[in-house]
Amino acid sequence: MSDSLLSPVAPRPRQTGWLRAIIVLTFVALLVFFIVAAPAFATVSNIRSVLLNNVAPLAIVALAMTLVTRIGAIDLSVGTAIDIACLVLVTLVLHQVSLPVALFAALIAALLVGVFNAFLVTQLGVEPFLATLGTLFIGQSVQQLSSNGGQPVYLLSQKLPDGFSAIGHGALLGIPLPLWLLLLVALALYQLLHRSATGRSLRVMGEQYSVAQHSGVPVKRLTALAFILAALIAGIVGLILAANVKAWVPLSGNAYLLNAIGASFIGATFAPSRRPNVLGTLLGVVLLSFIANGLLLVGWNFYWQQVATGGLIFIVLAVGALRARRHS
Amino acid sequence: MSDITQSAPVAAPRSVRGQQWLQHVSLLIIVLVLAVFAWLSPIFLTVMNLGNVLQQTAVVGTLALGLTLVLSGGGLQGITGGIDLSIAANLGLSAAVFASQLNAGQPIAIALLLTLLTGAAVGLFNALAIVWLGILPLLATLTSMNIAIGLEMVLTSNASVSASSDLQNLLLGNGPLAVSWLGWSFLLLAFGVIALSRLTSFGLRLQAVGSHPQAANAAGIGVKRYQGLSYVLCGVSAAIAAIASVSLLSGSSPGANDNLLMVIAAALLGVVFSRRLVPTLGGALISALFLSLIANGFQLINVSSYWINGVEGVLILLVVALTALLRRRQSRRTQGV
Amino acid sequence: MVNNAPLLQLHAISKAFDGVPALQSVSLSVHAGEVHGLIGHNGAGKSTLIKVLGGIHAADRGSIELDGQPLTLATPAQAQRQGIAIVHQERLLPGSLTVAEALWLGNEPRLAGTPFILRRRMRQQAEQQLQQHFGLQLDPDALIATLSVAEQQLVQICRVLQNAPRVVVLDEPTAALARHEVHALFRVIERMRQQGIALLYVSHYLDEIQELCQRVTVLRDGKDVAQFNADQLSPAALIAAMVGDARHELAPRQSRRAGAQVLQVTALSAPGSFHSVSFTGRQGEIIGITGLLGSGGKALIRALFGLENGVSGKVTLGEVSGVPASPHAAVKRGIAFVPEDRRANGVALDLSLRDNVTLTTVQRLLRWGGVSRQAESELVAKNIQQLDIRTPGQLAALRQLSGGNQQKAVLAKWLNTGARLYLLDEPTVGVDIAAKAAIYHTLQQLADDGALILVFSTDLLELQTLADRIMVLARGEHVATLEAQHTSHQEILSWASGTGALTERAS
Repeated sequence: MSDSLLSPVAPRPRQTGWLRAIIVLTFVALLVFFIVAAPAFATVSNIRSVLLNNVAPLAIVALAMTLVTRIGAIDLSVGTAIDIACLVLVTLVLHQVSLPVALFAALIAALLVGVFNAFLVTQLGVEPFLATLGTLFIGQSVQQLSSNGGQPVYLLSQKLPDGFSAIGHGALLGIPLPLWLLLLVALALYQLLHRSATGRSLRVMGEQYSVAQHSGVPVKRLTALAFILAALIAGIVGLILAANVKAWVPLSGNAYLLNAIGASFIGATFAPSRRPNVLGTLLGVVLLSFIANGLLLVGWNFYWQQVATGGLIFIVLAVGALRARRHS
Repeated sequence: MSDITQSAPVAAPRSVRGQQWLQHVSLLIIVLVLAVFAWLSPIFLTVMNLGNVLQQTAVVGTLALGLTLVLSGGGLQGITGGIDLSIAANLGLSAAVFASQLNAGQPIAIALLLTLLTGAAVGLFNALAIVWLGILPLLATLTSMNIAIGLEMVLTSNASVSASSDLQNLLLGNGPLAVSWLGWSFLLLAFGVIALSRLTSFGLRLQAVGSHPQAANAAGIGVKRYQGLSYVLCGVSAAIAAIASVSLLSGSSPGANDNLLMVIAAALLGVVFSRRLVPTLGGALISALFLSLIANGFQLINVSSYWINGVEGVLILLVVALTALLRRRQSRRTQGV
Repeated sequence: MVNNAPLLQLHAISKAFDGVPALQSVSLSVHAGEVHGLIGHNGAGKSTLIKVLGGIHAADRGSIELDGQPLTLATPAQAQRQGIAIVHQERLLPGSLTVAEALWLGNEPRLAGTPFILRRRMRQQAEQQLQQHFGLQLDPDALIATLSVAEQQLVQICRVLQNAPRVVVLDEPTAALARHEVHALFRVIERMRQQGIALLYVSHYLDEIQELCQRVTVLRDGKDVAQFNADQLSPAALIAAMVGDARHELAPRQSRRAGAQVLQVTALSAPGSFHSVSFTGRQGEIIGITGLLGSGGKALIRALFGLENGVSGKVTLGEVSGVPASPHAAVKRGIAFVPEDRRANGVALDLSLRDNVTLTTVQRLLRWGGVSRQAESELVAKNIQQLDIRTPGQLAALRQLSGGNQQKAVLAKWLNTGARLYLLDEPTVGVDIAAKAAIYHTLQQLADDGALILVFSTDLLELQTLADRIMVLARGEHVATLEAQHTSHQEILSWASGTGALTERAS
């Protein structure tokens, strides 16, 4: 039995079932309910707002997470990558560094988080869960130290370099930049995971790691690639955050972690292969975001939303697990 | 014709004692670190300070004990292994229940009962999701954590709830050696749980379940039952920790979830103190105390407490890398061929 | 002494997995005080039968009776309660428990009326029992994970004996035992016999079967095809029954002219496995590698594919030298590897046949940055035809194929890479006769086309069918190279067991 760096993730059954139909129907019913009960829900401005403010950043992080979960691992430190990128960008801009250089440096910083994870997992043989947990810890500490315990770092509006706010609010052809970034990332990842030769190897790694290894797939190299790329992609969200909030709020990236994981696994239940995938993740993010939005507009207590979102993810997971059980 | 009909003898070096060095080195390191702190701050080793530390450890320590049960029964296989990410959120929810009950004037017995039921309910939810439905522990407890945080916010509108009761006053009062009753209770609880686990078949069977579920099953042990029970007990431990927390803070406050990482750190670091290289209750206790001592030491010598998380992270990585290495060396010897 | 009425009777047991039959109407009986051997090639159904007896799998059809009473074996606990004990091949001992704990797990001695267990008694009795049964002195506080395979096996057997079972099934118990440990085991078996226990002894070591058993049942392709009494037991007869009529399909290869030298292995060593092995290989050759368990043969094959650590020496294939550092490096040099544990390492069971087969060569199917579906399905169709893979379709999950066809899929995966060196580790384990013949045929064709093939196998018949020459390893040393056509099983075994050349030639 070979040593595995990674272990298999969710169970995977084969056929479609009427259980899946039930989920779809439930979602449709919810959507209808929202449209009827909250007149503001189905308006262009609302949809645009949700897409820009909720879907875009979450989706990018979730896609980064999908890359890692697809090979059967997990990355608990994506929030750290987001925050580090944000921190570096804000700090450099504050010190009057030119914008392109600052952006580049921020992305490199995020990339380094990924490199650290890759090192732990592929060179030291630490399990991804524990390795990224350790990175999360260390990242938290670094941020706390850099911010004197959680003090945000603000940028002054007058002193912003040209084009800075464009990252968050600028638009091309009427579509906001963050959505373009999302599109770019989604397309690139789709190409990588679902169309390229490397994607095949990644898929087998997630499916049955030892088979990939015994077939000559460069497993260590690809694992490192996944972690590094995931951190880089997460870093993009850090840039968007910085531009939108015009500040660095420490530890804010972690808020995305849970929903990113949730969306990635919800997305997995949508695919016939039951493995994490790009389209499913996007769908999962859209669902989570719009349901939260719907609940808000319908007037649900804001705090109940968290319960509702959690409950929703749970139902999807439960159904997925039940389907898996029926086929084993 | 025939297959190979005989076998070559399998030689296996028997350095069973070989791995004791890890425990000895770890203990040595702890003593060293404590010595450094003691040298840098004269207050560090006073009974009053240590008693304070003990009291401060009550919350995280109790949670770490509960989490250890889950880790023990679930096996440490990374993503598919047992874990309870909801434990800190459960603490928050249970604390909110306790504080609001007291606030509403309920008798202490009712408040305690409801708190314990809350913790157990979350634990039961986890147990059903993981053992009955078959959802991965990581995902299931991630979800229940979300839900518990939400419920807590619903209950408290994301605000602190102050509460006072005779029980809290009692707990915070000083017992023998000028250590608070809370500190003593925690110690008593910890030793009690450790003793029960070791003196009955519970600890043994739970460990077997986590280490080799097929073997446990073949031995007639209900794997699902034990794993489910570990999650429920973990939930109860969160409720107990909630009582301690409410006592210490004179109420409940949002942000209990921040404890999660420290609890995980304590439970994982406990591995180092067991020659079996598995999470143990005693190890978790020592680790929780150690982490508290470090935090306390940092405070006394005026080092920013924000180094704590970093220290924890590095420690975890060290421990994990080491144990992975040791385990690999262990099993390589017994593979034959 | 064997009583007249059988203690244990199995009637027409049938069991299928995913539609693939593993047992077809198997019947056998064991008397009290009898050691009944169960033999058959890998994949013949032995382990399935054991699992049915042990309550791990439920038989689809058939019945089992103990002392005339029908048994319900729905769970392992039930089986144990009714007196059936299985000593499995896989060690069912939790690694982080101590010897005493593992021995008493589930059955811990308690202080009367309380839930408190008596650890001291557990330790004392553990020490006692191990000493008594096996003459073994083990520290009862030693962790299971630190014991050798042999020691773990003995603890497992000791555990089983605690329940005073009426039937004991031993599944390949001596596979990892040293000579004196095997004798100790035989003594224990003899003692169990005298106590009237019915023993089912499953093994593929025929000399043990001969020494121990009063009767033997032979399984082949899931059916019980023959039964022998003690006086009828001879290796030749047993093997003939195991292999059956298909012998003629496995025709020994025609000798052929080997081509240029392509492989040179110099002083290859892996600490703990094998030491300073050197040999050469030529195009078109099939070299068999064999040896007893622990001899290093399997490790040698794996080392050539970069799967072993700490390997030193030189491996020159074509122009490149040096030991492959990883499977990826090996594949780049034109090496292919068919692993032993197919389900774990060879095929991704939940992926389609197509995905499995194209895993190694998907780069060649790229068009416009994506994989060309058409090129892919054409390639796979070609493979299916070449190897005669029986499948519901290209997109069928590999789980649905039989073991033999799964193995063919593994071969197809490598076929497409045009590898120069094929490394195979027990290639026909769990493969039915027809598929076995097809695989042999393919291998011979590959050799004809110029590949060099190294096969590690403990199936001597297979080696003699396939190989030109057979390398024998014993205790990590390369002790002999024999001409496959001119050697005998006795000679191979003689070298493998370390006793050197035969003094007299057997026919």
